[in-house]
Amino acid sequence: MPSIAITGPILVPLLAAAVITTFGFFRFDLGRGASGAGAWGAVAVLLVLWLSVRSTQELNLGPLGYGSSLNLRLDAVAFAFGLMVSVPSAVLLTLQRRTWQEAAIAMVGLAAAMAAVEAGGVVLTAVAGGTAATLAVLLLDAEDIQAPRPRWSVMLAAWLALGWAGVIFQVLGGTAVYPAVPVAAVTAPVFTLFAVAALMASGMFPWRSWPAQLWARPSLRAAGMAIATVYPLGFYLLVRAYEVGDGRYPRQLFNVLLASLGILVALGAAARAQAAATRREFLGEVIPGFGGFALMTLALGTPLGLEAALITLATAAAFAACLPLLPDRAGPASLVTIAAAVGLPPGLAFGARVLGIESTFEAGDLLGLIGLAGAAGWALWMVGAARAIGLPAGRGHPVAETFPKIAMGIALLTLVAGPAAAAVQAGLAGPAAANVLGGSGATPGANLTTVVTVSTVLPALTLFVPLLLIAAIGYGLAGTALIRGQPRPVLFSLPGSTWMERARAALREATIPEQYRSLVNLPALESAVAGGRPLLWLAALVALAFAVTR
Amino acid sequence: MVIAEAAAAFVAWFGASVIVLADGRRGVALGLALTAAGLAFLAWPSAGVGAAIVIAAGGLLGAVVRNRSGPAGWVIMPAGSTPRLILCVAAALVSLWIAASVTSGDGAALRFAVLCVVVQMGGRLFTTRDPSITLAAVAALALAVADTVAIGPNSSGVAPFIVAALVAAGVMFVRLPASNAA
Amino acid sequence: MQPELQANLSVLVAAAAAVVLALVLSPPRMSRSTLVANGGAGLAGMVFIAAAPSLELAVLVLLALGVLHAGAGGRREFAVRLRGPIAAAALLGLALFFARVQGPDVLSRFAAVGLAAGLAAGVGLLPYIHELDPEEPAALSPIVWIGFVGPVLATAVVLRAREVLPAGAGGAFGAMLIGLGLLNIVWGTVASWRTEAGAAAWHYSFVADWGLALCGFGLTVSEGSSAALLVLVSILIGRLPLYLASRQALREKTPTERPINLVVAAVLAGSAPFAGFAARVLLFRAATQLYWPLALVLALLMLLWLPGSLRLGQSLGLPRGRQAFGVGVVVALNVLIGLYPLPLLSLAGR
Repeated sequence: MPSIAITGPILVPLLAAAVITTFGFFRFDLGRGASGAGAWGAVAVLLVLWLSVRSTQELNLGPLGYGSSLNLRLDAVAFAFGLMVSVPSAVLLTLQRRTWQEAAIAMVGLAAAMAAVEAGGVVLTAVAGGTAATLAVLLLDAEDIQAPRPRWSVMLAAWLALGWAGVIFQVLGGTAVYPAVPVAAVTAPVFTLFAVAALMASGMFPWRSWPAQLWARPSLRAAGMAIATVYPLGFYLLVRAYEVGDGRYPRQLFNVLLASLGILVALGAAARAQAAATRREFLGEVIPGFGGFALMTLALGTPLGLEAALITLATAAAFAACLPLLPDRAGPASLVTIAAAVGLPPGLAFGARVLGIESTFEAGDLLGLIGLAGAAGWALWMVGAARAIGLPAGRGHPVAETFPKIAMGIALLTLVAGPAAAAVQAGLAGPAAANVLGGSGATPGANLTTVVTVSTVLPALTLFVPLLLIAAIGYGLAGTALIRGQPRPVLFSLPGSTWMERARAALREATIPEQYRSLVNLPALESAVAGGRPLLWLAALVALAFAVTR
Repeated sequence: MVIAEAAAAFVAWFGASVIVLADGRRGVALGLALTAAGLAFLAWPSAGVGAAIVIAAGGLLGAVVRNRSGPAGWVIMPAGSTPRLILCVAAALVSLWIAASVTSGDGAALRFAVLCVVVQMGGRLFTTRDPSITLAAVAALALAVADTVAIGPNSSGVAPFIVAALVAAGVMFVRLPASNAA
Repeated sequence: MQPELQANLSVLVAAAAAVVLALVLSPPRMSRSTLVANGGAGLAGMVFIAAAPSLELAVLVLLALGVLHAGAGGRREFAVRLRGPIAAAALLGLALFFARVQGPDVLSRFAAVGLAAGLAAGVGLLPYIHELDPEEPAALSPIVWIGFVGPVLATAVVLRAREVLPAGAGGAFGAMLIGLGLLNIVWGTVASWRTEAGAAAWHYSFVADWGLALCGFGLTVSEGSSAALLVLVSILIGRLPLYLASRQALREKTPTERPINLVVAAVLAGSAPFAGFAARVLLFRAATQLYWPLALVLALLMLLWLPGSLRLGQSLGLPRGRQAFGVGVVVALNVLIGLYPLPLLSLAGR
């Protein structure tokens, strides 16, 4: 396979965008077919490229001019995250109707996200990731300019910070290419910058941030694409951070801090979910909940932890496709989706969380306590799910963009994929972990039916299949008749949950007190500075002359 | 020669002062001519006679053209020109101090003249709104900038002087918009 | 090719492109022939400044250009229009004086002051901001200096500063440029966000971008000057054409919030993948090499571009027809340069 083929997952969506735009200018809307074809084309090329070779492929097209080369790399990590970005995007683009402008923007955003995961170095990732983030914001605004969207300042800050981190690697270590950065260049301050960029890029905060706020939009077309293309990128950076640090973070303190942050994110999402007023609000916390669990285990620094994180993120990607297609009404689709999302056995979410908590216990010490907190959070999700079944639907999004059977199908798929957890680990998560953790990344004796950990063996297939059969028989016998959707009280309310909104509102309305306004007369200051006054010019000259003599 | 140079420096300063203090076209034209003469003489030793002739010609031509348009008469030191007078005196004193005491080497007169003209013309810009006077200040400033070439070793040849002369004369032919013409 | 001309080649090419874009994007009431004439004259002047073998020749051309621009008309008085160029010429003249005389070392620092201040006065940056009349036609306004002629002037002055200044004064010159740059960034970003008049907001946004360019010039490594070059090019083929496109909407006071306005805001804010982002990456590189706290300050200040850019993006209105095509070309050019700036930098000999 010629190495230029690596550009396929990026170029195919770009080509599709160009075709859609050209036809669009001639007032011919190609519809979902073109965007779906482009997105599935990217998936197909990715699968062909990886499965035919199953080892790292690189392409270097020469310097770009800002200290980086156009260096693309398709390894196990890029493959895993490429699927997480492209498959849900393809599902959404194929099913949901969009204007040709929105379709074109979405395709370019997909191309940018694919470029971010295939980029061989930090600076190029920053450029591509920043582009994907900008396009996501643009797509959200194109759909509805008044609806909630991510703060553009936070997005810009995240990718600028990453760019700076990349530049620091270049200055300290001579390169920002992931496998080539010297470990000595990965100092604690630089890693802090890197990690903060990753957290901001994906909105991994304990409070309600953009991945949850997007679900309050009247339409979920653009929200789904934004989550699918941008949300995984922060996690991608944290995974690559292991590669840059030769298999570990520079200090164990970072592992503890990030894992703690992960559990706070998960607990925060769980607490908000169980206090949700509508089902839509509950479902809005699903993706952040997955993200929190993924961060918790990803930060452990162990092969099992990283694999559990990747399986969790893959599941989250499935729900990034499922949730925008789910109608806001009660029914089997909502029921199955909620069940699958909260980690009911024997689903993939269940398997991932079991592995994740197991990995915290294996990591030991304080991290084991974090695992206990993770288990508590999971229980809270269960409580929230039970309550969510009886909640009112919410504001509702247009029926035309919902596909309840397909949403239910995706949720069911994650439920029945639970027994295949070992296969997912062996085929997707394991090679990615081995890629970044080096020799320590290989899970001993991995196979398609069993997950082997340091301390135990989880026979996923033989344990989960009977569970699946029991659940199927039980559901078949009882149906939904026994399920009573009744209103249940909130388990607890978060103290001070609205303080941030109140603080922000107060800041926005803040004004200078009346008696001090004459001190700060901005128009007069502007007039003085920009009025071409000779005295000011002379004074400035004298000040400059004085400054240089010091 | 030293006395001649000092006299030329004085003439340059005096010409610049007349430009600063005069509001009529005759005064401005005279000032420009004197400035050009002084600067030309001072450029002669290090830049050569060609440069001196070019400077003088450009300044003189500019002065002749200036004499044809602008406010009529001399109008030297009209009411309210005290600050401008102070500018002239202060510029002279500070330039003298820098040229004679702070800096060293030959050509103190040239240094004094260049510094004076640059400072005074820069100051004149902010004390007038009359386009014709502004253009005269531009012309004198151009000649002074060219004369900086004569300070120190001259590697630029006569080209800066030719361009300065062209600027000094050429700006006088700029057609001013009706709303801004005097 | 003459090194001075080579160093300015990218900027000259961008300036020529800016003239073409101005023809496409100018509002209907702006005379195309006037635009071509003024643009051509400005371009010719810029070529002369770039090709001038010495700084005093560049200063003289600046004076001539200033007089011609002031004489072209406009709402402001002739003397007011000439203030910037004359102040610049005077300050640069003083710089040449102090650079050439013999005396204590502090005189060479005064030369550096003259160069930095002269550069700021010529372009129209803080503290020598040129007075702006919002109703004045763009071709006759201070935008000509800050958005068109200024880039070549700055490159010429900085290039020749290295020849004119002795070794000891180079550091002072760089430090002053960085100081002025930071000042202009803060003023430009905050003022473009908070000022009431739309035209003034655009003017200050140019000031903010110039702050980045000055910081780049002040960082005496190749990445710094490359960053400055990219910022100047992004001013010529990004900010300037978009400003011209916004003139009609500014007059009619019709801000709009459509996707195109957000795209324009992204171009103006320097977000990826536009030219401004590449410039910022290079600036980070230069600052990190020399003095990393400066990179931290710059990173924080870069966020200030956002609120002003959003406002300016909305002030563009909804471009239609020829203007929409022009805006599309501007966006495409900025993407191209942002992703692949190497040819532009190579053209300038970097």
